[in-house]
Amino acid sequence: MSEHKIAVTQSLDTSGQCCPMPMIDSNKAMKKMQAGDILEIIATDSGTRSDIPSWCERTGNKLLLSEEEGDTLKYYVQKQGL
Amino acid sequence: MKSMTIIVREDSYDKILTPLAFAYLQASEGIQVDMLFVNWSVRVLTEEGAKNIKVQGEYADQDQWVRSQVEKVGIPNDIYTLLKAIKEMECVNFYGCSLAAAVFGVDEDSLIPEAEGIVGASWFLNEKADKADYNQTF
Repeated sequence: MSEHKIAVTQSLDTSGQCCPMPMIDSNKAMKKMQAGDILEIIATDSGTRSDIPSWCERTGNKLLLSEEEGDTLKYYVQKQGL
Repeated sequence: MKSMTIIVREDSYDKILTPLAFAYLQASEGIQVDMLFVNWSVRVLTEEGAKNIKVQGEYADQDQWVRSQVEKVGIPNDIYTLLKAIKEMECVNFYGCSLAAAVFGVDEDSLIPEAEGIVGASWFLNEKADKADYNQTF
């Protein structure tokens, strides 16, 4: 994975879970966060490749970075002040 | 999208998973979801019905395997537990169709507390489905 300096506020590991659980848990986690906070989502469900960018666009949250290593996908989403 | 309705007809364990998963998913984004259970599926809104639901037809012998797979991917594999989890999202309503309730032997007293009640199809179609942004039928 690429090196980056993203100050993660909370990490959510959904490894092993499949749709809809990664999105449900991401929504739950994001609701508890403040504007500017960054949620790291770790996933193995390939459906998140389409679900998470679409979710960010729809909710107004910002997808800072997505990266993959093997079967593991990581997303860094910053909550926006809506 | 702000609201959607889902009409559920199928009561086989595997076939009811999809509408419940969709409701769970959309509710997690705060979308209002109103679900009407018609035909045999109205029994899912009773504790006994939710407990006894099984994979049916040609896949009936794979019931336990399907449940273990569902658990493995992180979804509650017991339908009543799943209904409770969905209800906790606070924007999902479960309604039983009055025709289905009469035909398939479900009354208000036997409904799980998570169900809103038994309603007429006309009310649901006009007050919920017609006013929702999106409708699905399973």
